[in-house]
Amino acid sequence: MTITPHGSLKKAPPLTIPPRQAARLPESDAAAGGLFEAIQRGEAFETVVHEATRGEKPVLEVSNFNLWYGEAQALHDISLVCPDGKVTALIGPSGCGKSTLLRCVNRMNDLIDSVRVSGDMTLNGESIYTAGVDVIELRKRIGMVFQKPNPFPMSIYENVVYSLRIDGERDRSVLDEVCEQSLRGAGLWDEAKDRLQSSALAMSGGQQQRLCIARAIAAEPDVLLLDEPCSALDPIATGRIEELIDELKGTYSILIVTHNMQQASRASDYTAFMYLGRLVEFGPTDEIFLQPRLKETEDYVTGRFG
Amino acid sequence: MRFAEFASRYLITIGGIGTILAVAMIFLFLVGVVVPLFRGASMDGAEEAEIERLASEPLHVAVDEYKSMAAILLRDGTVRVHRLDTGEELQRLQPFGGAGGGAGADERTLTALSVSPEGDDVAFGFSDGKLHLGRFGFTSAFPTDEETPDVARDLGPGAIAVHAGKIYVLTTEGKLRSQSFTLEIGAPIESQANAAIRLIAHTSDDATAVLAGFTDAGRIFYTKTRERTNLLTGKTTYASDDYELPLRSEDAAPAFLHLNGGGDSVFLAWANGKVVRYDVRDPSAPLVAEELDILADPAAELTVFEPMLGQATFIVGDSRGGLRAWFTARVDGAPTTDGVQLLLAHELATEGSAVTSIGASPRTRLIASGHADGGARLWHVTTNRLLATSPGPEGEPIEAIVLVAKEDGVVAATRVGLLHWAIDPRYPEASLAALFRPVWYEGFPAPTHTWQAESGTDEFEPKLGFLPLVFGTIKATFYSMLFGTPLALLAAVFTSEFLDRRLRIPIKSSIEMMASLPSVVLGFLAALVIAPFAQRIIPATLAVFVTLPFALLLGAYLWQLMPSNRAVRWAGWQRLVSIGVTLPIGVALALWVGPVMERLFFAGDMRLWLDGQIGTATGGWMLLLIPLSALLALGFGVRVLAPFVRRRSSAWTRSQCARYDLAKFLIGSLLTVAIALALSAGLDVAGFDPRGSVFDTYVQRNALIVGFVMGFAVIPIIYTLAEDALTSVPEHLRLASLGAGATPWQTAVRIIIPTAMSGLFSAVMIGLGRAVGETMIVLMATGNTPVMEWNVFNGFRTLSANIAVELPEAVQGSTHYRALFLAALVLFAMTFVLNTVAEIVRLRFRKRAYQL
Repeated sequence: MTITPHGSLKKAPPLTIPPRQAARLPESDAAAGGLFEAIQRGEAFETVVHEATRGEKPVLEVSNFNLWYGEAQALHDISLVCPDGKVTALIGPSGCGKSTLLRCVNRMNDLIDSVRVSGDMTLNGESIYTAGVDVIELRKRIGMVFQKPNPFPMSIYENVVYSLRIDGERDRSVLDEVCEQSLRGAGLWDEAKDRLQSSALAMSGGQQQRLCIARAIAAEPDVLLLDEPCSALDPIATGRIEELIDELKGTYSILIVTHNMQQASRASDYTAFMYLGRLVEFGPTDEIFLQPRLKETEDYVTGRFG
Repeated sequence: MRFAEFASRYLITIGGIGTILAVAMIFLFLVGVVVPLFRGASMDGAEEAEIERLASEPLHVAVDEYKSMAAILLRDGTVRVHRLDTGEELQRLQPFGGAGGGAGADERTLTALSVSPEGDDVAFGFSDGKLHLGRFGFTSAFPTDEETPDVARDLGPGAIAVHAGKIYVLTTEGKLRSQSFTLEIGAPIESQANAAIRLIAHTSDDATAVLAGFTDAGRIFYTKTRERTNLLTGKTTYASDDYELPLRSEDAAPAFLHLNGGGDSVFLAWANGKVVRYDVRDPSAPLVAEELDILADPAAELTVFEPMLGQATFIVGDSRGGLRAWFTARVDGAPTTDGVQLLLAHELATEGSAVTSIGASPRTRLIASGHADGGARLWHVTTNRLLATSPGPEGEPIEAIVLVAKEDGVVAATRVGLLHWAIDPRYPEASLAALFRPVWYEGFPAPTHTWQAESGTDEFEPKLGFLPLVFGTIKATFYSMLFGTPLALLAAVFTSEFLDRRLRIPIKSSIEMMASLPSVVLGFLAALVIAPFAQRIIPATLAVFVTLPFALLLGAYLWQLMPSNRAVRWAGWQRLVSIGVTLPIGVALALWVGPVMERLFFAGDMRLWLDGQIGTATGGWMLLLIPLSALLALGFGVRVLAPFVRRRSSAWTRSQCARYDLAKFLIGSLLTVAIALALSAGLDVAGFDPRGSVFDTYVQRNALIVGFVMGFAVIPIIYTLAEDALTSVPEHLRLASLGAGATPWQTAVRIIIPTAMSGLFSAVMIGLGRAVGETMIVLMATGNTPVMEWNVFNGFRTLSANIAVELPEAVQGSTHYRALFLAALVLFAMTFVLNTVAEIVRLRFRKRAYQL
């Protein structure tokens, strides 16, 4: 784990495997061969949701969300809340639908023709999926950072103020201020302030990813979606991003997809474990990692499975 | 397996090298054909054949086309025929009587001679005032066995035998050919000149001859003669009309007298350089058209004043070595009675050895000049160039010079010898300056860029100015790109960024199918369908360029008025259909606006307006300024209105914004028209008129039609490459932009297009290359007139169409033929430069955009 002089990292939970004290659900217990096999067979089951998640004020609520790619169903009856000002992590093995779910939040899946959904999501109580929602307006309220750093081929400055530019903002002082704030917010200001007009593509991968975060927060979104933001980065850059997530917490509500258990345990407040398009268990990160209710969750977070 | 790999590797290598070689060979072949064009003429050293000293001044020298013999006509009327190689005298005649007492029974002498530059036609004037037309030349014959003299019986190939004044040669085909001098003297033409004729000039066509002369009595006569042949007796008689031209009494006797080719001008020149030109279009009332001094140097004396082929250009030589070419040309506001004026067109030489004689080519604008120092020079008059120069033997000045009809030799006579130079002028009409700089052609008032390679008459001079063709190519390319590029690029952006993915493939493939449409079909359509149709509705054709975008934009703004949830739900095929509906509306609008526009701005008749006969310039400027004013109006909206509205619009609802947008658009459109109108009226008042430049007389097959149809030919290429470039922009950039809340349009304009710029640029450049090289469409849909004007409504001739039209009829190896290959090379160079520049620019774009 990296500790930087000014960083105040949350202490990572010890990685010792806790004794199995969580009560297991009787029906899943009853399923022959365990829960995963039951899911593989397509049997219905109920998501284990920890009570601690109910007390929070939700900024994003997913309710009974299903998604199909053509005939294949990729998300099954997902219900989940993202608490305001907290970091929620989506974990699960590859292909479990974490990224699909994330992209559904700002309706990026609309761009794929064969996608069909049912159920709904609400952002601050407003539906995302009812007919007549202006997707463009919606996306302005939801920032997104992708797996691979994807700065635009233009200057650092123009990258950061992109969302203001497309809104037609021309006031230089406003743009300058937002640029500085966002870069500071993304912890990039000190590195970038002298080269704002140089190409964003000349930056290192980690810097590019932080630039993408700066670009996302420049629009002051309600929710920040991070899709495996560190998977293409080296450990040091990953550490910087994690620090950053920690700093952004509170100001922004963050939904992060990650493959890295340690990252989820270090950076998030809540964790949702998904498997084959189903939400298996959802609860406070401490509980998910230390006292998961399901054996399968425990197997996954400890690396015995997946 | 191993063998397959080995074989394929070598096959690929051979194929690749073969392709490069093939292209290089084509290039080398072109260069190989073109290079001789620029090789200079050659002139060998003089070969001198000594002859018995001439008793008097030689008036005229003639050489047969095989350069075997020369005939010299002396002042005293003697004709001496010599072998050119040895100088052996073959014949000595005294056809006009005199000392030897020849054919002429009476005691008259030859006093004047006129030789036409086209060949052997001559006119003789005698001391008794009689005129004769005649021929002074050579006859080739193939003698039969009986006619063949013994000396010529066993000739080896190339060997020469002489018998009775004839030269016998065995040709390479093995036939015996005899050459002999022929002098024909026609029946006398009676003139009222009852004094000895001092100067004579003649010009003739099939049935009539015009003769003019100056007599000892100080009169200038002008005679029109018609030849009549008595059908029964076969005897030729002449019927003539005689006129007299006024000569001011104080004038001394002129030194030269000439007619122009048409016989409607008589030129009189004095040794001091004074020239008087008479306008004899109506010979019964002759007028002095102009009077001028053609010698720049007052100390010089006029020594030569001789016509060239066609008797339009006169070569003026003086005692200071000056050599100049003058001709008459129609000049605006010429202070002469017939509107034409003598102009100094070419100044070949200003100083040197005195010019004593010139010999003009009977086929081209080549002349040979003989000088007092015995040297000879070869000139090309039109291109104003000294091709070759050769000194003669010291001492004897050249007295008469002639250029052999085949242009392979120059023969000159001094008092003591015959000089012969073997020459090869090669391609005198072509030089870089002649091809790419303005050239002063005969009969033109000023140097011009002109392309006219061939014509029916022999006197025609080929005009090989490349610029009209290069200009035509550029014009065709410009107008077709103006039409095709925006359409193709916008279509590419639309399909790659906005169109439903399922529709993208069929639409893209169908546009690509357009590329397989043979261009001859497009050209055919353009020439026979579109051009006549557009001609009928010129105003509407022009208006459609404004109304169609207007209708589309109006449709878009009206679409915005729709409640948002309906708009979102109808974003699929319904929107596409509604876009389709706006197109016919735009066309209908054009059909309605066109006639209205014609009535209001073009005085009710666009074609007459274009001819410049009626109306003011306002309408034309309006058409031109609409795009500029639209930009101005847009700039006003963005710079002035937008920040102002922005502060207030944050609280507006969607429909309020839409209504505001619509109002803004309509007001902007009105503003555009208003700005255009104001600017146009201003320009009109200031006296500027687009007619004469961009607009001018309407020709049915014009640049607008070509732009439109060739636009269609380049659209598929640009479209398909541009679309590929746009779709190859990494998807994550598109997602990032859309994810940031940008609309597809903003994403396209701000991210996708800048990133794909290198690809878009090369797409446009490849389209440009296609347009430059396109042949069939421009061949069929333009008038192929090689004119240099930007007029949208006139045709042009492109390099490629020119090659297609003229190469089949160009004589292989001729100047014209090689010039056409040069046209191909120029085309090649143009596309090469274009592609190179395009590649450089593309790489720069790419460096900037693709560091991903």
